[in-house]
Amino acid sequence: MLFIPVFTTAQQKQKMVSGTVVDAAMNMPIPGASVYISSSMVGSKAKEEGILDGAMLGTTTDFDGYFELKIDDTVKSLVVSYMGFKSKTIDVSGSTQNLTIVLEESTQNLNEVLITGYQKIEKRKATSAYSTIDVSEIQQAGVATVDQMLTGQLPGVFVQPTSGAPGAPSKISIRGTATLNGSSDPLWVLDGIPLEGEDIPKDFRDKDNIDNLQSFPVAGLNPEDIESITVLKDAAATSIYGARAANGVIVITSKSGKKGGMRISASANAFITQKPDYSKLNLMNASQKVDFELFLASREDLTYQKNRGEVARILNSYNSYDTFQNNGFSALDSEVQNAINNLRTRNTNWGGELYQMAVNQQYSLSISGGNDQNTYYLSAGIFDEKGSTIGTGQQRYNITLKDNFNLNDDFKVGVSVFASQNKTFSYITGADSYTNPAYYARNANPYLRLTDDQGNYVYDPDLVERSDLNLNYNILEERRNTSHDLVANSVKSILNAAYDLTDDLHFSTQLGLQFDFNRTEKFSDRNSYYTRKYRQRSRYAGPTGDAYYMPEGGIIQNWNTDVFQYNWKTTANYNTTFNNLHELDVMLGTEFRRNKTEEIQTKGFGYNPNTLTTIPITDERALTNSLFDPLNKRFNENAFASFFGTASYTYDRKYTLFSSLRYDGSNLFGVNPKYRYLPIWSVAGSWNVHQESFMQAFAMVSNLKLRASYGIQGNIDKSTSPYVLGIYDNVSILPGVNEEIIQAQGAPNPDLRWEKTKSTNVGLDLGLFNNKLYVTADYYYRKSTDLIGLRAVPLESGYNFINTNWGTVSNRGFELAINTINISNANFKWTSGLNISHNKSIVEDIQIREENFKPSLKGYSANAIFALKTAGLDSNGLPVFWKDGKKVSAVDFYNLEEGTDGSQLTNQEHRDLYSYVGDGAPLFSGGFRNTFQYKQFDLRILSNFILKQTVQAAPSYYPTLARPGTNYSTEILNAGTGNLPALIGANSPGFNTDLVYSWYNSFDAGRTYDDLDIWVKDMSYIRISSIRLSYSVPTKQLDKFNISRLNFNVEGRNLFVFGSDYDGFFDPETYGSLYAQPIPKVISAGFNLTF
Amino acid sequence: MKKLVYLYIVLTACISCDDYLDIKPVGQVIPSSVEDYRSFLTSAYSIKNLDKILTTYRGDELQLNPDSPGVEQYTDIYIWNDENPSPLRRSFPYASFYSIIFYCNHIIESKNEITGDSGAIDELVGEAYALRAMQYFRLVNLYAKPYERTTADQDPAIPIVTKYQTDVDYPVNSVQEVYDLILNDLNRAEDLIGVAKQEVGLNYRFSKVAVKAFQTRVYLYQNEWQKAIDHANAALSLHSELQDLNADVSHMPSEYNSVESILALETVASFDTANNTTIADDLIGIYDQSTDLRFDLYFRPISGGGFRSKKNADTKFKVSYRTSELYLIKAEALARLGQTEAATDPLLELAKHRYTPEGFLTYQQNTEVLNDEELLSAILEERRKEFAIEGHRWFDLRRTTQAKITKTYDGQLYTLEKNDLRYVIPIPNDAIINNPDL
Repeated sequence: MLFIPVFTTAQQKQKMVSGTVVDAAMNMPIPGASVYISSSMVGSKAKEEGILDGAMLGTTTDFDGYFELKIDDTVKSLVVSYMGFKSKTIDVSGSTQNLTIVLEESTQNLNEVLITGYQKIEKRKATSAYSTIDVSEIQQAGVATVDQMLTGQLPGVFVQPTSGAPGAPSKISIRGTATLNGSSDPLWVLDGIPLEGEDIPKDFRDKDNIDNLQSFPVAGLNPEDIESITVLKDAAATSIYGARAANGVIVITSKSGKKGGMRISASANAFITQKPDYSKLNLMNASQKVDFELFLASREDLTYQKNRGEVARILNSYNSYDTFQNNGFSALDSEVQNAINNLRTRNTNWGGELYQMAVNQQYSLSISGGNDQNTYYLSAGIFDEKGSTIGTGQQRYNITLKDNFNLNDDFKVGVSVFASQNKTFSYITGADSYTNPAYYARNANPYLRLTDDQGNYVYDPDLVERSDLNLNYNILEERRNTSHDLVANSVKSILNAAYDLTDDLHFSTQLGLQFDFNRTEKFSDRNSYYTRKYRQRSRYAGPTGDAYYMPEGGIIQNWNTDVFQYNWKTTANYNTTFNNLHELDVMLGTEFRRNKTEEIQTKGFGYNPNTLTTIPITDERALTNSLFDPLNKRFNENAFASFFGTASYTYDRKYTLFSSLRYDGSNLFGVNPKYRYLPIWSVAGSWNVHQESFMQAFAMVSNLKLRASYGIQGNIDKSTSPYVLGIYDNVSILPGVNEEIIQAQGAPNPDLRWEKTKSTNVGLDLGLFNNKLYVTADYYYRKSTDLIGLRAVPLESGYNFINTNWGTVSNRGFELAINTINISNANFKWTSGLNISHNKSIVEDIQIREENFKPSLKGYSANAIFALKTAGLDSNGLPVFWKDGKKVSAVDFYNLEEGTDGSQLTNQEHRDLYSYVGDGAPLFSGGFRNTFQYKQFDLRILSNFILKQTVQAAPSYYPTLARPGTNYSTEILNAGTGNLPALIGANSPGFNTDLVYSWYNSFDAGRTYDDLDIWVKDMSYIRISSIRLSYSVPTKQLDKFNISRLNFNVEGRNLFVFGSDYDGFFDPETYGSLYAQPIPKVISAGFNLTF
Repeated sequence: MKKLVYLYIVLTACISCDDYLDIKPVGQVIPSSVEDYRSFLTSAYSIKNLDKILTTYRGDELQLNPDSPGVEQYTDIYIWNDENPSPLRRSFPYASFYSIIFYCNHIIESKNEITGDSGAIDELVGEAYALRAMQYFRLVNLYAKPYERTTADQDPAIPIVTKYQTDVDYPVNSVQEVYDLILNDLNRAEDLIGVAKQEVGLNYRFSKVAVKAFQTRVYLYQNEWQKAIDHANAALSLHSELQDLNADVSHMPSEYNSVESILALETVASFDTANNTTIADDLIGIYDQSTDLRFDLYFRPISGGGFRSKKNADTKFKVSYRTSELYLIKAEALARLGQTEAATDPLLELAKHRYTPEGFLTYQQNTEVLNDEELLSAILEERRKEFAIEGHRWFDLRRTTQAKITKTYDGQLYTLEKNDLRYVIPIPNDAIINNPDL
């Protein structure tokens, strides 16, 4: 470098370079493009001498794409670059005036390299299965997190929203499930740093999983700050991440500053969340409900909760219940008739009381730019959403800062900080599912009023605690007097340094820190159902009747969680080429990671929100009730040390062999020494067929590559140890003596082996017609053996269950992605992306638990659904079943007789009642994306689809428990017809009806009624997740305002769903869940402005 | 810059990975010191079993009322309905015994690795042997036939587990094998335990005298009369005090802080036995309410007639062995050996502490005229009175006459025939499901 001539203004002649930068496709000028002398042409020495200042190094184009630049005569070339286009080096040794520089759009720009988080691998050398998407292609207004945007966008990545609540996570599974009871969440990686966060609960039909607020790994990231997402799928791609990558890896690459002038970009969106269509629930209206209650009252045999419901209350208050039952409605006094008929006109608008239309907003601002020495990116974002369920919402504030410095030619450092605050608001629900609004919406009587004429709350008379106790629930009062919110503060910072020791040998080190502070607060004031219900738990028999040791007043509960992690990784890369034929890339590295989680839960009773005071509980009965523990603390620390290496050899740019190996070590405490360091490895190869000479005959094939990989991944269950692990506690065996004890925790199992997943992948990348048609196809087979699960063991061992290796699951499937540029001309461009995936999991081996009521999964999908096959109804309206190809009555099917109490069927016979009816994972899933560009207009349509997923709904009613006091789906009106079992009581007429009644009512411990095939159906649908139209204002009109780009957009999200009917539920995705909040339809409008 | 690279290489070479990864989780421990293992054994001592309470329901001391709250948990036990019991019926403990055995086995297996004072280690391991023996004694007397020398090696009992293993079978051992293990364990406990008597509050732990008392009971159950007498004498030489009810009725002699207490470990009463049952008329009938000082101490009258037990769920009522039992065992064994005169002494010694002075005089006069058989009956009756609702009765019935019992419940008559097979409780279903060898 010392030999590079030293420039000085005095010595050098200067020349003027001028020209226009246009884009190749549309021939439109590109404003804001960077034109500069690359430092490699000048040498870093120049800067140090202070001879060329920044302004002279480069410039940016104006609004007509025009630029002028004075340079030294000796400079032979300039670089022209613009984001999203291929950079171009132009020769300026000859003509330098009025150049026209055509930049080609780099559609494949992001795909040029595979970013694994450890390495950047040139695409031509890539051997693994991965998918990449540019977030700008799938960006949707009013979507808080990037996981939701991935729905249907990437092959092999199955994303399904869990609820429509603001902040609700999406469940993601990559290539099926490789575990039977562990987390199946993929690993999220931000710029090389694995993110910590809570696992997404498995079952979202469970109320608590929906109602609890939690902080998930990507919740704090603003999608506007994300450049691209890469999903690593096969072993060759993920094995470098070690044990945690068994479920795949999602690598987030954040936006960075680009060399060139400063760009300021602002966007704003207003989005309107539509009120959900309450009628989707198919509930009875007031008139139908009154008729239904009258019907129940007319039936002498249906006595369940017969005094509930307004009709029964009216009849009882006039002492006319029997009159009605014996002689019918006409026998009632006209006063009674009128009172009942009046109910029919009282239709409370529950949809309106529980749900709302909300106007929300989203803003972001970013400043970026840079030069040879430094690039920077700064952004701020605000996201504010109110959910369609009243009382829910999310607010997020983000600040992001990224700065990269080239200290000299060999040494680069970079720093990034991602700071965010994410508040999530929700309702509070206790142990009582009725107070979940989605559930209450289904159960509240249509004629029930919320306030009386004076505006006082009307408590639901049918939501009673016991027959003699009503704790007074009113949803308006509850919403007013309770709150539930989560404030998640997060700072993630990353420090990078890279040093080139020689041309071939590079060192880099990266330190990532993550601090998360999560505060959850649940508050319920004294006048709330939650508080009243909680207080019941402190009931005891006092000298004068019931007494309570919980003090009067509100309840405040706080959960404070601090999470800290650091991740320090260092790599050495050796890249060399010799004889122009052999390319060798070797990487070796170490990674150290440590995380700490501290959680403190506090509870205060007798809380007064005005004085912030609480009242201590002094009664010693509270000591043994954990509901009244004032403080609970948990602390957890983990450390990981890993060593890894990859080697890649490419011959003649055609053949690449790749292999990787990683040893993962983690906390040694209680871990079997055999498994302290887990080896995880992969080998892979690729063949760039289109480079072969024989392929020249096929000119239309622009790219053809074959890939294959194989690898092993492992996981060890750290909760099971070969040693006897103990936890501390305190106990008093005899009065007055309190001693510390060590309780044995979990059954030790020295024979436990690690879970292994062997993955094989073969793939094809095919580009035709200059990559206008680009196909990526992959077939994979993953076999997970020695899966760890709880197995029942002889009680003589001292334990009921033990973690053992008890299952084998295989997943096989294919993925196909087709990206096409259908039409591309000066005015019109149409591109499409279609992806479709199929995954079939099979549980090849699993140990049966003798106590199970349901059949073993062996031979079926890991998500297999089993049901009892019905064959319509008999003349009494009782279900008829298929058994061994014959129709049999319920009595024969269940083997019922007088005195049957559930023991007439052994567990094996019980299991044999079931038949396999379908796979709970979809047969095919995928998405279809279309983009149309016409002049200044852009239209983008995103959709995702599911083909044949078997779903099971909760029964809409129970035949033996028809309650007059709650509302139902109109399905109950058809009970006794079609497939729907008739409503029966203990004394209902019909042969053996009493046996069926007592079976379903009392002895059906396996709850087989829930598993009748009438509640199961196959679901297929396509959801148009986004239609977005945007208009870019022509640059000429923006000139005078100093604006380089302005576009306006309108977008409709979730406007249409086509496919199987999902009556009775809000969305096909959450079909069967009684608690999920509806996925909102959203209309948004906004603009993007860059200057 | 190069220096930094070298520095990094030196640094990582120096950090030992094992040190980096050696995180001791807060609140979690692998027991290693004798203090750790003491806490571990305390954990085993603290596991509560309801066997004594449930067998009390099964025996003839209580009267159950169908209207009592929670009665469905006990009805089927009360009427010996083992065939198709209600799902709400309380299950006899099984797993919890083996859970305690797991703790004891772990301590015994690790005895050479425990660090710390060797005296303390011996004490601990000795207690583990005794506690293990106690669990097997409870198991064999619940789920197997009473010990009968001629058939004991054929009578199936329960599986013996002396070490923790995964993936092994648990075949059933014979009654003889279980008793051999019990006695063997007690011999080792005797060798290792140095503490003669535990102080009040810690007297849930085994001591020398507790082991002796336990051996006495084992021999009683084996009908080994002479050995029972010898061990009773050995135990009494360490601890022979009786609580004189003429002087002190502030607590029952069975309470943990009574001078009689030898081991206060087993739970014998519950809220339900104290509040939701009454005492069977038969049992009430054998007390001389005017002179027997135990009557008012043990029972309380309820409105509308009848009596309830005063023993409730309070931990102070825990009891396993106490000196009175030694006196009664000695008396019984001597009587069975035909040594009528010698047998009368311990019986009267106890009676002196139980009856008013006048009552005792009458008792003494009555006793002295009894023949062999009558004396034995008197001793057994005294046992019944002394240990009312203390978890002895069912087992005494089993090991002695296996008498016919009749009960009236909800207007219906139920009978347990003499030598009825239902004197052996079936092994609980959940154990059978998990162990095909049962």
